[in-house]
Amino acid sequence: MRLIAAWYCLAILPFTAAAVRAQVDLAAKEEQAIQAAVAQVAPAVVRIETLGGLETVGSFLFGTGPTTGLMVSADGYIISSAFNFAQKPAQILVYIANSPVPAELVSTDHNRRLVLLKVNTDKPLAVPEIASMKDLRVGQWSIAVGRTFGDGKNPNVSAGIISATNRIWSRAVQTDAKISPANYGGPLVDIRGRVIGVLAPLAQDGFGAPGPASEVAGVEWYDSGIGFAIPLEQITELLPRMKETKELHAGKLGVSLKGTDLFSGDVIIAAAAAGSPAQQAGLKAGDKIIEVDGAKITRQAELRHVLMPRYAGDKIKLAALRGEERIEREIELVAEIAPYQFPFLGILPLREPSEEQGVVVRYVFPDSPAAKADLQPQDRIVALNGKPVADRDGLLELMAAEAVDHEVELEIRRGEATKKQKVKLAAYPELIPGELPPAHGEIPPGDGEKRATGLVSIKIPEIANSCSAYVPESYQANVPHGVVVWLHGPGGYQEAELAEAWKEHCGKHDLILLAPKSGDPLKWQRDELEFIRKTLDDVLAKYNVDRKRITVAGVEGGGAMAYLFAFGNRELVPGVVAIEAPLPAGTRVPATDAVQRQVFYVASAKQSSSAAQIQATIQQLRGLKYPVTVKDLGDTSRPLAAEERAELARWTDTLDRI
Amino acid sequence: MNRGRVWLAVMALWAFWGLVSAGALADDRSLPAVIRDVQSKIVKIYGAGGFRALEPYQSGVLISADGYVLTAHSYVLDADYITCTLDDGRKFEAKLLGADPRLEVAVLKIEATDLPYFDLAKAVVAAEGTRTLAFSNLFGIAFGEEPASVQRGVVAAVTALEARRGVFESLYTGRVYVVDAMTNNPGAAGGALTNIQGELLGMLGKELRNARNNTWLNYAIPISQLTSSVELIRAGKVPPAPEDGPDKKLPNPMTLEALGIVMMPNILPRTPPFVEKVRPNSPAAKAGVMPDDIILFIDDALVQSVDSLGAALARIAIDERIRLTVERDRALVEVTLEVPLEEQTPKRKTPEGQGTQTNADGNR
Repeated sequence: MRLIAAWYCLAILPFTAAAVRAQVDLAAKEEQAIQAAVAQVAPAVVRIETLGGLETVGSFLFGTGPTTGLMVSADGYIISSAFNFAQKPAQILVYIANSPVPAELVSTDHNRRLVLLKVNTDKPLAVPEIASMKDLRVGQWSIAVGRTFGDGKNPNVSAGIISATNRIWSRAVQTDAKISPANYGGPLVDIRGRVIGVLAPLAQDGFGAPGPASEVAGVEWYDSGIGFAIPLEQITELLPRMKETKELHAGKLGVSLKGTDLFSGDVIIAAAAAGSPAQQAGLKAGDKIIEVDGAKITRQAELRHVLMPRYAGDKIKLAALRGEERIEREIELVAEIAPYQFPFLGILPLREPSEEQGVVVRYVFPDSPAAKADLQPQDRIVALNGKPVADRDGLLELMAAEAVDHEVELEIRRGEATKKQKVKLAAYPELIPGELPPAHGEIPPGDGEKRATGLVSIKIPEIANSCSAYVPESYQANVPHGVVVWLHGPGGYQEAELAEAWKEHCGKHDLILLAPKSGDPLKWQRDELEFIRKTLDDVLAKYNVDRKRITVAGVEGGGAMAYLFAFGNRELVPGVVAIEAPLPAGTRVPATDAVQRQVFYVASAKQSSSAAQIQATIQQLRGLKYPVTVKDLGDTSRPLAAEERAELARWTDTLDRI
Repeated sequence: MNRGRVWLAVMALWAFWGLVSAGALADDRSLPAVIRDVQSKIVKIYGAGGFRALEPYQSGVLISADGYVLTAHSYVLDADYITCTLDDGRKFEAKLLGADPRLEVAVLKIEATDLPYFDLAKAVVAAEGTRTLAFSNLFGIAFGEEPASVQRGVVAAVTALEARRGVFESLYTGRVYVVDAMTNNPGAAGGALTNIQGELLGMLGKELRNARNNTWLNYAIPISQLTSSVELIRAGKVPPAPEDGPDKKLPNPMTLEALGIVMMPNILPRTPPFVEKVRPNSPAAKAGVMPDDIILFIDDALVQSVDSLGAALARIAIDERIRLTVERDRALVEVTLEVPLEEQTPKRKTPEGQGTQTNADGNR
């Protein structure tokens, strides 16, 4: 035994010493290699100065210091990050061999957030070597190079590794080198000094944050260990186009898809937007997308990876299944799809359980297409354009494929008689009907589990915030209820008072009032959006909720949260109410979606401190074709009066209008 | 018997290899050994603060066996009672020997002997790309005998410091190592920056922002910048007081009016420096400055706005010849302007020159 132990020591020890020496050697060699890689690319890395321009973009305070660019062709073209020019400078100077040369902004790529500059110089530019993407491995060295410190004679360096490839829907490589305004626009190089990509701030489309449309989005991640570079291979391919086109935009197809899960379920078109490339190519609701440009598509995420890197003007080959039939189309993507305006028939559906197929009319909106076609309460709509209507949700789905001014054919049963009737669809009304007939008659209680009613306290584990809900005493598990998520204004609320104020309306319109509280009673924080979501999930889990009738309503800061929550949870929030609250600065409002419809109710006083911004919000929403009901609260700000609360409850009751 | 002899031989060999490997370790040392050695020379300093965002702690480096400590000059040292906790957990009261506000450096003394330390004379220099280790008690995370935290990175840039804290510019404007490790954190100031051999490069600086692009800056002051001040303080002398700022007002500064240039009205915070008018027969007209020119450089300094143009002119005496680089039709044109003697006496303000006159003083 001892012998074995001794031999073991004998074998291991020299090895350890050698390993230590090798380790130190390696570290020193790596250092030399990093410096050599930087020296290799340095001639192609230019310093850029700008004159004039804005001080702030969004909430970001722009410095006046230099930024970085990368030479990409010998005849004077330079690529940089669009971030560096978001302040819209009056003049751009590029330093070629330490002397300034005026540069012209040739092109802006809004999809990858790059710019192409052109300088007039006799000196040929140094074109860097390109690293091949197919050889790129996660974990390999990646070195970020900028030229923004001191007099710019020496480039600035940050060393890290490749953290991931195909990020931001296949548009970027990720690195843990420190990426910031000190090197945006500069190259990310491999250990041999070959350019992997051009550094740029990028952000995933997401939760209330300004989406990729904002030129400064992603800068909040500077120096965080999450940095991005747009592969130079992709840029090289783009160059001819950038030289010819002033603005490059992401290409859009114009489809809404069924379901919100990116990673499960087939990719089925719920609606092809009117006038969109998808609609012009003849794609229809129900078509299952299976292939784009030869790549198999089985999940929504795969479709995003294929489409998001593409530009307006790009042609794609798309294959879909319509039933058993395979259809193939060549489709040219466009930059903008005209905002989709929700079409309106003009009825509210009865919400009574029924054995029969179809939708029974509960209420006919005055002057609506339905009124003009003489539809009446108790009529049953059984088909639309020859397609049978199963129930309310089925009819809404069929309507998603229609547009304002479309003529549709309804099949209506009145008593024993059935008739077909042509109706020209209109736009959503913004007025709230006065009195509504009940949504259902007496419904015998089912066997559903008995749930707590009255004032209920909701506790989310590991979150300190408190939350109350008011569930009407009339609640039955077999009657779907709407939800009003009430986000209080500064000062919070009194549980009993709030419950008293909403009691009658909750009972009358089958509503549950959910009132989360902010941690600091005076103001909401963005990170409390998650808490709000969890309280709503809690209600969804315990009660029978009609997802077509959920409203998020907020006062002042709560109203700002209502906007953010609604845009971050579109599939859950069809109604948004903002009282004395403009859109938070920097919020990107998504385009209307035929399936996930959202409508707005905006209340403010004429002398409200944010009256101007609230007007701008209304303009912006209406410009995007969102229906906005505007409520004038008089001269000075005040809480909602009793009849306004009643109106709000009624408005929530009409969210399932068709 | 035989077996015993083999055993002996093996033991001898083993001992021999042990010696060799120990030698190897002592020579070029592994990274963990380097780090452990440097950590033994880092001290945790506790003093004033503890309210608002001012943490009552920072870091320091032992620079002698008998207890001299190099650290950053900050509010933490503005206390009646400063303590230093060594790497081995021993705690000492420290005396502030002196400070050099120009370098924002201070020297403390504790009563101890036989301490591990860095000899400032043996400090080395680094270049862009040099791999570094940063040692400090950032966020006050280490207590008692817990060693200082280590961060790895590379030297991002070797450059003059252009930084600010809030709206105040930093006093120190000399050379610094900018690193790509996130050292810019409470408690890190006064810590050590070394290369991967554990040789001292610099002292970690305070929490500052890059004045050029408003990002947080991670930097260390090279030891060579600090040694003479440290020597003076250790010798009981006071380093020279900071000089007056560079913006001393000239008695007779250059003005746009004297040059005969009227700029585009300065209505934005960063109005670009477009020439609106050139007065006939003025120095500017004679030199060939034209309306719509954009002034890019005065001598070799970049001018980014009408405001900075005014500030730049205020630093030039009226009797100096100035060289302007302007952009005209996408080309750079250089012109030299000189104000004739008779016009160098300040004139009455003309209505058209009024706006620019105030700009030339650097105020709006």
